Amino acid sequence: MSMIKVENVYKNFGTLEVLKDVSFTVEAGEVVCIIGPSGAGKSTILRSLNHLEKITSGKIWIENDLLDDRKDGVNLVKLSSAERASILLKTGMVFQRFNLFPHKTVLENVTLSPIHVKGLTKDKAETLAKDIISRVGLADKINEYPSRLSGGQQQRVAIARALAMEPEIMLFDEPTSALDPELVGEVLNVMKKLAESGMTMIVVTHEMSFAREVADRILFMFDGSICEEGKPDEIFNNPKNERTRNFLKSVL
Amino acid sequence: MNMFEKMLSWMPALLRATGVTISLTALSVSCGLILSLFLALGKISKSKVVQKLCGAYIYFFRGTPLLMQLFFIYYALPQLHSALTISSRFTAAWIAYSLNSAAYLAEIIRAAIQSIDKGQLEASRALGMSYGKAMRLVIIPQSIRRLIPPIGNEFIMIIKDTSLVSSIALVDLMKKTSQIQSSTASPLVYLPSMAIYLTITAVLTWVFNCLEKKFSIYE
Ligand SMILES: Nc1ncnc2c1ncn2[C@@H]1O[C@H](COP(=O)(O)OP(=O)(O)OP(=O)(O)O)[C@@H](O)[C@H]1O
Ligand SMILES: [Mg+2]
Repeated sequence: MSMIKVENVYKNFGTLEVLKDVSFTVEAGEVVCIIGPSGAGKSTILRSLNHLEKITSGKIWIENDLLDDRKDGVNLVKLSSAERASILLKTGMVFQRFNLFPHKTVLENVTLSPIHVKGLTKDKAETLAKDIISRVGLADKINEYPSRLSGGQQQRVAIARALAMEPEIMLFDEPTSALDPELVGEVLNVMKKLAESGMTMIVVTHEMSFAREVADRILFMFDGSICEEGKPDEIFNNPKNERTRNFLKSVL
Repeated sequence: MNMFEKMLSWMPALLRATGVTISLTALSVSCGLILSLFLALGKISKSKVVQKLCGAYIYFFRGTPLLMQLFFIYYALPQLHSALTISSRFTAAWIAYSLNSAAYLAEIIRAAIQSIDKGQLEASRALGMSYGKAMRLVIIPQSIRRLIPPIGNEFIMIIKDTSLVSSIALVDLMKKTSQIQSSTASPLVYLPSMAIYLTITAVLTWVFNCLEKKFSIYE
């Protein structure tokens, strides 16, 4: 059983076709990196998995659940918002610009959803949160507001915040692109540890060395389609597609 | 009596009338705030019908003179139907100022909510929150700090706008001032009266500055 299955997905913004027949699967425990030039549709496909974008056609399954209305014989069964919410709880997302809640402390950022969405008691949520926050190395910052943290620290809090909902799949959209170069490493290290712990991850990234080292599989996207996919070794050392070769030449 | 003693002798009456001015303002802005939150959420809701209805409300109350709204509620409604009679002048004024300030406050709140980065809503949704929870826990609390200065401003506007109630013979600070003025024919009565208005405004400004500081701790 795949963790994620994407089948023939199309997405238009008005007349602009942003995703064209995208299909791929991600297995449990796999780390998949999506690379490709700007505007290729990397963010759009990732956001579709979390329903932040609504796809135009095609199908997305998270584990066994179709993330859309389904046909039952001839009847269309509407996916209720409660069902969708419970499917989406299986995915956590980390954004390029962190999107921490500025009016909440680090601890409150991490406990907000466990308390108000999952219904955990404050005590339970805080115990869980403190454990996760110390795993991302910020135990001494739990009472700070996000504005007092560096970008790298903020992104680590954002990772902790997503992990606190205990997702089975983590989605990362260029998690280090907004960081000063000297802060990239601390975030990538947290992600590496997460990958080693067996988390299923999809990472959109421009950090080629991270992709090469951590990914089990690379998807190369170009102009709304997946042009090439394969093991890092194949993609980086022996790319088959002309476009992949050109892209890698331009970034490496 | 010298000038100063004269002014002092008017003070008790003026202060009693000030009570009307302050309570009318406080009650109206409070009710207006509650109503305006719903109007603002309606204005940004996905339903076109709700959007239009809230838009029409705001358009109406911002597009007609407050004095006319007050007259309409106090004088015209009873004539349209006797069940619509509001016998208390204070209640009539309270309703008119609440409905009117709600329209202005709704636009203020809508602008503040929409000024919050849309990444905040996305992050909330990605964490499993419903639209309602995201609004209640994330978006609205963040917009509060941005709301404080314009709400303070609205308070100060309403304090001065309440002087219009003298035209339905409700005795507020303005009405009392002109009553004293016409019975004593002394121009001096305006001075303590203005001093009272200025004092209220100064206190309000101070309170709202404190509130703004209190809500800025996370920045
Ligand atoms: N909300 C939107 N409305 C209209 N067009 C959009 C919208 N979001 C994205 N697009 C367009 O869709 C295309 C794909 O965008 P997407 O953000 O998925 O690219 P990307 O591969 O993530 O690029 P980058 O590396 O710059 O982040 C781009 O041409 C972009 O302009
Ligand atoms: Mg992107």
